[in-house]
Amino acid sequence: MTLLDISQLTLDLPDGTRLLDGVSLTVAAGETVGLVGESGSGKSLTARSVLGLLPSGAVTTGSLRLDGLSVLDATAGQVLELRRSRASMIFQDPRAGINPMRTIGDHLTEGLRLCQRMPNGEAQAAALSLLESVGLPRPAEHLRQYPHELSGGMLQRVMIAGALTSSPHLLICDEPTTALDVTTQAGIIAVLAEQRAARGMGMLFITHDLNLAASICDRVVVLSAGRVVEQGDAREVFLHPHAEYTQRLLAATPTLSRPRERVVAAPSDAPATLAPPAVLAPPAADAMLSVRSLSKEYHRRGKEPVAAVVEASFEIPRGGALGVVGESGSGKSTLARMIVGLERADAGDIRIADRERTAARTRAERLAHARSVQMVFQDPYLSLDPRITAGHAIEDALRLHDSRGTADARARVLALLDQVGLGERHAQAQPRTLSGGQRQRVAIARALAIEPDVLVMDEATSALDVSVQAQVLAVVERIRRERGLTVLFISHDLAVVRRVCEQTVVMKTGAIVERGRTEEILDAPQHPYTRLLIDSVPRPEWEGERSATP
Amino acid sequence: MTAARRVAGKLGALLLTLLLASMLVFFSRFLVPGDPVSFLLRGRKPSAEAVAQVSAQYGLDLPPWQQYLNWLVGVLHGDFGRSLQYRQDVSVVIGERLPITLGLVVMAGTMIAVIGLAAGIVAAVNRGRLMDRAVLIGLTVLGAIPSFVGSIVLIAVFAVQLGWFPSFGSGDGGFVDTLYHLVLPSIALAIVFVVLVSKVTRSSMVDQLGREHVEVATSRGLTRSAVIRRHVLRNSIGPILTVSGVLVAGLLVASAIVEAAFGLSGIGSLLVQSVDRLDFPVVQAIVLLVVTAFVVVNAVIDVLEPWVDPRSAAGAGAR
Repeated sequence: MTLLDISQLTLDLPDGTRLLDGVSLTVAAGETVGLVGESGSGKSLTARSVLGLLPSGAVTTGSLRLDGLSVLDATAGQVLELRRSRASMIFQDPRAGINPMRTIGDHLTEGLRLCQRMPNGEAQAAALSLLESVGLPRPAEHLRQYPHELSGGMLQRVMIAGALTSSPHLLICDEPTTALDVTTQAGIIAVLAEQRAARGMGMLFITHDLNLAASICDRVVVLSAGRVVEQGDAREVFLHPHAEYTQRLLAATPTLSRPRERVVAAPSDAPATLAPPAVLAPPAADAMLSVRSLSKEYHRRGKEPVAAVVEASFEIPRGGALGVVGESGSGKSTLARMIVGLERADAGDIRIADRERTAARTRAERLAHARSVQMVFQDPYLSLDPRITAGHAIEDALRLHDSRGTADARARVLALLDQVGLGERHAQAQPRTLSGGQRQRVAIARALAIEPDVLVMDEATSALDVSVQAQVLAVVERIRRERGLTVLFISHDLAVVRRVCEQTVVMKTGAIVERGRTEEILDAPQHPYTRLLIDSVPRPEWEGERSATP
Repeated sequence: MTAARRVAGKLGALLLTLLLASMLVFFSRFLVPGDPVSFLLRGRKPSAEAVAQVSAQYGLDLPPWQQYLNWLVGVLHGDFGRSLQYRQDVSVVIGERLPITLGLVVMAGTMIAVIGLAAGIVAAVNRGRLMDRAVLIGLTVLGAIPSFVGSIVLIAVFAVQLGWFPSFGSGDGGFVDTLYHLVLPSIALAIVFVVLVSKVTRSSMVDQLGREHVEVATSRGLTRSAVIRRHVLRNSIGPILTVSGVLVAGLLVASAIVEAAFGLSGIGSLLVQSVDRLDFPVVQAIVLLVVTAFVVVNAVIDVLEPWVDPRSAAGAGAR
């Protein structure tokens, strides 16, 4: 039985921008359909239009039927009825999606109390049993807690329970695990699959993660620029993609089991092929970055101190790349911040190019520290000043460290932009007019402006689409090859680390639990935590077959 | 338990603040030109004996530190000293005028809360539309009117032209008559603050309207009014309360101008007059009163914060 039937749906903004262009897809009861695509492909918008959550003034054509109700022609009352009993949605970031000023109990029961007119006691009982069914440990206690008292994974379970309060026929999941750690993701996916099976719901699962889609969906719909480019049986689409876009997307997606494949980057001005990283590392014995017994504790009033980093030691040879992997809270970002001098270590020392860099006190020391190590941050939307042009941002970094003339500095800026595959017109651009990948490349150019010895990349590609990520990684690889740059690459994504780094350390609650060659760690993990991390990465059951097919 | 300790901590900080404020208020007298003894002896030929006698009578011959302690002990017993101009206890002089100012401030405060919130909510809910623009333009125009100009316009229109309200004084002392007399002054006092409160309300609500939790609530089938009430307005209270706390001092100070315009004898006009006549004990008492009101209101808002935003109780880390 077809539950959701979208046919030739188009959506135009009042200014004439076409965001959806003839989207057609169906979801049957009990079926999981994956909606896959990169940011801006219209996948979230398609999902929101099912619930009537459209941008104001949007004009739609085509048809969208849910349970026989035509959503596009529905009255306001019918839309409320639809949201209250037919379909509900799980959003990406539970931290943002649950009102921080109301209790978990209120979040779960408000729909029941206000929409279904259920008495408070009954609503509480219903919320309690739902919290139990999504696997939360202490439901009665959680009902009285506020969102900030729960972890992200627990909150996403609360969000799922909240979406299930109305017993919907269709559950829409909009990137429900993107904001979560990989081990947490595995638990959430299990809960979703279990609930879908128990309730016979249809599920529309939106994700940018092809491996995730492949591992849980029956069918997938691939969306690009508001159009469906391919749809069909999940296995078929992944093993034998027909559309060129799908092929490119699959090729750009790093996976754990395919280490050294050719990367075909999406349309880009960056080189499309990555050489295997092992070739890059010059056989250098001297350590460029050396960290010994580094520790940091955070003290919060009235609470136990938190050991963010415990006795961390490692070395990166000149021109090498070290991956640091671990989940949120493992201390990897604190480690990076200490190395670039944003935090002061409690104990231990940091040596860069054989110079002590642990404590910079004077302005001159801080500048010297900054010269030796630079950082690229996770979110290029936040790390570039929105009021300063890209070229100016790089020029500022240059001038802080160098008293060179304006013309000279401008020429250097262009050379740097050229290095990351951008040109003069990008130098004049405000950050908001650049795409995410272009911004991150500007951030890299700025970090490289003063020719640091070490580049620290803290989840620098996590916020980017896979094709853009491939471009950025290609830029980093080329610069490493050309300039022998030493890189500390922090990521939660094991597959990306595999592509970039020869050596890897695994961190758990502040301590390094395993270290060694990346391939050895990923292929034959020794520590149980590393094994857990690797096992949690979603992969389709037929994954082995793909490497066999040309 | 932790809540009790927190409140106790705030109370300690409050008392310390008040003590420091009292020192500032008292010793500032020694910084301004003018000598209370010469005011007391005005019109007479100041002989050395007369100066010494008056100084001793008012305790002005003691070292400043001693004078402060005497004053502080008095203040703690409710004795603010004697007014130099009225030759009466300061507490009596202020006590006569305080009800007018309090009435004015309470009435204006009510108007600010009701009209300011309403205008802010209407603008935020209709953001980007004609209604929002109209409210914003109206607020900007009103906000540009200084309260003395506003007072004159109100008197000209509602008292002189239409004759609906009295233009002068506070009436015969009856409760209803006093309220009636305070309507125009309260409006004159409230205007600028209504603008501030509604602008904060609007921007705070607009910020919340864009949040994902609002979309989640909408997607669950809640009506728009329930979403606005339970998620948008509820979450906007924090900034509104913070700004309101800061406004209290401004309200008390601005009342001086309005009282003068409407011929009300409240503590605002008393303050201006006492500064003019170097009546230090009265000035000190009024300033201390305003400071106390300000500090206490803001301390109460501080104490309320964990109830307004549960995250603040967990410390900065919880965001």
